[in-house]
Amino acid sequence: MPFALIFLISIVAGFVGAMSGMGGGVVLIPALTFLGLDIKHAIAVSIVSVIATSSGSASAYVRDRITNLKVGMFLEMFTIVGALVGAAITLVSAQRPLFLVFGAVLLGSWAALFAERHQTWQPEERQDAFSKWLELHGSYHDQATRETVEYRGTRAYLAGPLMFGAGMIAGLLGIGAGALKVLIHDLVMKLPPKVSTTTSNLIIGVTALAGTSVYLAAGLIHPGLAAPVILGVLVGAFVGTRVLVRLTNQTVRRFFQVILAVLGIEMIVRGIRGV
Amino acid sequence: MTQRPDTSASHPAATEKTARFDMEVLVGYILLGGVLLSMALVVAGLAWRWLATGHVSLDYSIAGMNLFEFMLTDIRQAAAHAVRPRLLINLGIAVLMLTPYVRVLASMLYFAFVEHNGKYTLFTGFVFSVLTYSLFLQ
Repeated sequence: MPFALIFLISIVAGFVGAMSGMGGGVVLIPALTFLGLDIKHAIAVSIVSVIATSSGSASAYVRDRITNLKVGMFLEMFTIVGALVGAAITLVSAQRPLFLVFGAVLLGSWAALFAERHQTWQPEERQDAFSKWLELHGSYHDQATRETVEYRGTRAYLAGPLMFGAGMIAGLLGIGAGALKVLIHDLVMKLPPKVSTTTSNLIIGVTALAGTSVYLAAGLIHPGLAAPVILGVLVGAFVGTRVLVRLTNQTVRRFFQVILAVLGIEMIVRGIRGV
Repeated sequence: MTQRPDTSASHPAATEKTARFDMEVLVGYILLGGVLLSMALVVAGLAWRWLATGHVSLDYSIAGMNLFEFMLTDIRQAAAHAVRPRLLINLGIAVLMLTPYVRVLASMLYFAFVEHNGKYTLFTGFVFSVLTYSLFLQ
């Protein structure tokens, strides 16, 4: 596959991923397989690029002190084990189920993005004993409202096992699975949206590393392919994030989210037809 | 009169904020430094390849090996003065993979020696052990 084409596709994937809030992998993998790359190689190269985009954006969020490091480090214990299991399943799996699961997860994450936007965050008054023991509370300064938001994370006993599932999907499909992680933070742990998005970003990098190590050991990572993909996705995500900051129009975001729904359906159709 | 309790109440919070600040700056800069170094190596490798051959396409794969074998092979080549564009690209990918790994190690050490938080030292220690195991996979 020509270098320029892969680089260009990766820029678009990073850009659309950032604009839709779902990450580059969900666009990259369908695009690379469409061009004829084997889905396992596409998954392997995508998960390496996930380390780059996650670490790049997490570095800024962590220094802004919005990310809750303790929440992240507690949940990582579950996601990394999940990612190892997920990647191991991909290695032994046939191609068709991977297409079907990819399409289903894409549509599921897409539905989750829509559903949760209708909810407004309310601080949780009560915190269970386990979450309290884990010190899952915090505060951050919201620059938009100029207020300090205090919060308490809850139900860590449930969030942990659920995160194992999110990590497994990340390792299995070579994506960040950010939408699922954010959903667990929001609905189960009752974290404020900003904390939930940025903490999910931190966890994604370590989870992707666990998956990457399995694909590297299996010989599925081609540096010649990984180089343009990592650079392209990072450039696309950087530009996408900058554009997003200036955009207040929800319709534009919705447009990019619709693209992802179409990709999800396309992957399912290819899975049913036999790639 | 009301100021005194206020001031005393803000002290622990201020101390906590300073402690959190250090940890977050540490993690933030490890991530930023890792990604920038890795990208610089990949870009340098591609630029060198382009200057030497007139194109940037690289078609090679690495046989299944773990990160440490992968890095060892690269370092051996560098020691044998066989520095080539693909060596830089390989190193860029290795640095990228090491970035979250070093972040977890630094967090573990911070929890152990600065915050003296046994619980989180154990948690990050577990994450570090699992990652180390996965990086040694054959």
